[in-house]
Amino acid sequence: MSSAVAVETRHERRGFLAAAWAFVKHHILTLYSILFFAYLLIPIAVVIVFSFNHPSGKFNYVWQGFTWDNWRYWNGVPGIESAIILSLEIALIASVVATGLGTLIALALVRYGFRGRATTNILIFLPLSTPEIVLGASLLTLFLNLSFVTFGFQTILIAHIMFCISFAVVTVKARLVGFDRHLEEAAMDLGANEWTTFTKVTLPLIAPAVLAALLLCFAISIDDFVVTYFNSGSSVTFPLFVWGAARIGAPPQVNVIGTAIFVIALTAMLANVLVQMRRQKAAA
Amino acid sequence: MNFFHRHRETTPYLLLAPGVLFLAVFFVVPLGFLAYQSLESGNFDVGFSFTWAWSNYWNAIHDYRAQFVRSIEYAGIATLLALVASYPVAYWIAFRGGRWKNLLLLFIVAPFFVTYLIRTLAWETILSDNGFVVNTLQTLHVLGPGGRLLATSTAVVAGITYNFLPFMALPLYVSLEQIDERMIEAAEDLYASKLHAFLRVTLPLSLPGIVAGTLLTFIPAAGDFINAQLLGSTQNHMIGNVIQSKFLEQTDYPSAAAMSFILMGAILVFVFVYARLVGTEQLTGTAG
Amino acid sequence: MTDQLTRRQLLERAAIGGTAITLPGLLAACGSSGTKAAGGTTSSSHKLAKTLHFSNWTLYMDTNNKKHTNPSLIEFEKKYGTHVAYVEDINDNASFFGKIQGPLSRGQSIDRDIIVLTDNDRYLGLMLRKGWAEKLDKSAIPNIKNLVAVQQHPNFDPNREYTLPWQSGMTGIAYNDTLTDPVLSVSDLLENSKLKGKITVLNSMGDAMTLVMLANGDDPTKVTDKSWNDAFNRIKKAVDNKQIRQFTGNDYAPPLAKGDLSAAMSWSGDIAQIGNKHIHWNVPKDGGALWTDNMLIPKGGDVYTASVYMNYVYDPKVQGLMEAGDPKRNITGIYYIPPVAGAKKWALSFNPAVANNPLIFPSPKTLETVHIFDNAALNNQKYLEQWQNLISG
Repeated sequence: MSSAVAVETRHERRGFLAAAWAFVKHHILTLYSILFFAYLLIPIAVVIVFSFNHPSGKFNYVWQGFTWDNWRYWNGVPGIESAIILSLEIALIASVVATGLGTLIALALVRYGFRGRATTNILIFLPLSTPEIVLGASLLTLFLNLSFVTFGFQTILIAHIMFCISFAVVTVKARLVGFDRHLEEAAMDLGANEWTTFTKVTLPLIAPAVLAALLLCFAISIDDFVVTYFNSGSSVTFPLFVWGAARIGAPPQVNVIGTAIFVIALTAMLANVLVQMRRQKAAA
Repeated sequence: MNFFHRHRETTPYLLLAPGVLFLAVFFVVPLGFLAYQSLESGNFDVGFSFTWAWSNYWNAIHDYRAQFVRSIEYAGIATLLALVASYPVAYWIAFRGGRWKNLLLLFIVAPFFVTYLIRTLAWETILSDNGFVVNTLQTLHVLGPGGRLLATSTAVVAGITYNFLPFMALPLYVSLEQIDERMIEAAEDLYASKLHAFLRVTLPLSLPGIVAGTLLTFIPAAGDFINAQLLGSTQNHMIGNVIQSKFLEQTDYPSAAAMSFILMGAILVFVFVYARLVGTEQLTGTAG
Repeated sequence: MTDQLTRRQLLERAAIGGTAITLPGLLAACGSSGTKAAGGTTSSSHKLAKTLHFSNWTLYMDTNNKKHTNPSLIEFEKKYGTHVAYVEDINDNASFFGKIQGPLSRGQSIDRDIIVLTDNDRYLGLMLRKGWAEKLDKSAIPNIKNLVAVQQHPNFDPNREYTLPWQSGMTGIAYNDTLTDPVLSVSDLLENSKLKGKITVLNSMGDAMTLVMLANGDDPTKVTDKSWNDAFNRIKKAVDNKQIRQFTGNDYAPPLAKGDLSAAMSWSGDIAQIGNKHIHWNVPKDGGALWTDNMLIPKGGDVYTASVYMNYVYDPKVQGLMEAGDPKRNITGIYYIPPVAGAKKWALSFNPAVANNPLIFPSPKTLETVHIFDNAALNNQKYLEQWQNLISG
């Protein structure tokens, strides 16, 4: 009788330990993930915090006091305003052009079989698998040999469009591949011609992907340093400005602009995600 | 629309033409120019001339072998670290995320919205010799009393890993998310332990994501020079630093061009080997 | 449909690759011989442009810290009506040259009327030799008579036809007194094990080699293979020992201020501008380097307007204010060594403390301890390659 009791308590203890272990195991992933996110966001936090710093000297490395001045006079540093404006201009134009070209390519690749399909795939894939430094250097070499090209806005724009096309293709293609062609066929069965079908059925349905490609290209373009560094001549984009400023001590305004870009992008993405979640909940 | 009906075969080419032309002119042709330049000799003062100078390649490998090896090393370690670090998180979001998946993904991508350079500069502040991190590590005796993190290979690799984490995490997530949980349940029904189920079912099924993430991380990392410049010392310079210096500061174009091709060649070899191992469909996305 | 490379596809791609290589050959042969003349104004037009584009190094202009403006540039605009678009985009000679040589080699203008390059690096001489600098309009620069005697006939521009000094400076050693005992000699910098990994050396060959050669007892104004090798090996040893943390341009300032560095080979004026009272600068015991940053007009720049500006800057009163600043009006000066005779008198009236600073208006005794690097060595390809390999790791 006592041994049965003993066995039972042992079972209980094992049960408790096992349960505890299971609890830890179950949540260890969560714990790890939280630490992971914290690690990812630490530098960002540093950037944001130091944008409010009031450095007594030129160097923004030690916290010395809170101020709104850097935000109020964000263009107080000579050159920063023209740099960010140039970056925005280039990003806007490059993303639109690259997305346009890329969408067309994606449509062709997914919808049609044709000779040279594999080669085109490789052509799209290659820029993604080429280190930026090679892209930048080869473009520089090209431009050096074309006497009618002016280094500056032109060359930077061309470079940005070039490396954005592949990203746009991949993004739109992913969506096109999962596209249900029956919808188009249904539209045509109902009498719509190809153009109407394209504009009224296809385009709206791939719009999220096109938008995603646009945003992706914009983000990549505004952030690009290496390729721009090689091909900018004496023009200065925002990343180039940061590089130059960092050599002698980046002013807090650099943090301000960095934070601003971060907040705007984050807000846009957050809105997008929340809308998606709302839609999912409604559909559920 | 009859035009397009009748000329159905040409439609794809018309769609492709503008984009492909652009890439041909501004991607392929420049590479050609670069190749041409890599076989030139001379110097900036007197000019360059095409002399089939294969010696540029040989000299580049010989003189900068250390930097080439270092680049592969740093990029390789960073990729491995990124894989090991992001896999659990990608798994967690994919299987435990529920309706918060997209929001959690946003957390991974968010740091990317701060300019690359600014992020790396933040690390330069955080890892500073008199900063919190170094002081803590010194207290814990992980670092010696005069130890530092900046201007070491550790800082450079850590920087590279950090900057390319999303490139690894996102593809991992995408392929993990597509795994049908019922297969894992089935494995467990068949008496596989959780670990076994993971190793035999989940891991292999997530291979496409691992492949994509590895390539997306390793390739840009190998050519990076910013982390080495800001966080490292002269002894941590990667081949990217040398190429940049040769192009823009020393104006030794042939040598720099040769090095660029060697770098590209090394990467393509790596990609090719990888492709044979896992099949080209994963790479070029032509499957599915 | 599987995507294995078929033989045909492989051949196709090889064909594409082949054309890509021969095409540039064709283009290079027929397109690029001869430089196109850039559309710059000739020196005979005596009209002032609306804007003067001036590229300079950082911390090289008088600044009103409260308003973030450059008083001397504002005065120039008031006096002549030309706005000065002042950009501080030069961080070191090599990378700036790298940026501008692309357009210049195509015969294009770089949208600058004045740029500033250093004489102890090869790029200044290179610009002149390549014909990428416009001749000054000396008829517009009567104040050129105020140029100090020692600067009148440099060997890269013997008759001052293309260049005029902006400021001179000295290279020495700066140290942080909270982190180390005074570092006053090159041997201390390179060989004191207490400083291991906490010092930097300049990546400029002229600067670094001058200091080390002097420390070796050699003459940097006349470089020989032996003196070169001795100095080079001494630095290399310090690199291998991990004594040297990094080779820097002017980016030693942030780590020095941050406390990541105990000492740095550095330029005199920068330290004055950092304004941290714990950081001290000295000419090394065995001697330091003297260098001069020169203004020049790149091809395509507006010669007349640039020359008028240069004339303005060579007015001793203007130079005095630019140099010393004026604490009463919150103006920080440049704090380097002015090339204009008579500037000290005016500096005394604006800012006596600075005017009496031997780093800014050095005594003849101080000037004897600093030396200019051998110009011929700057263009020696062998030395250049060796040096580049050293600083690239």
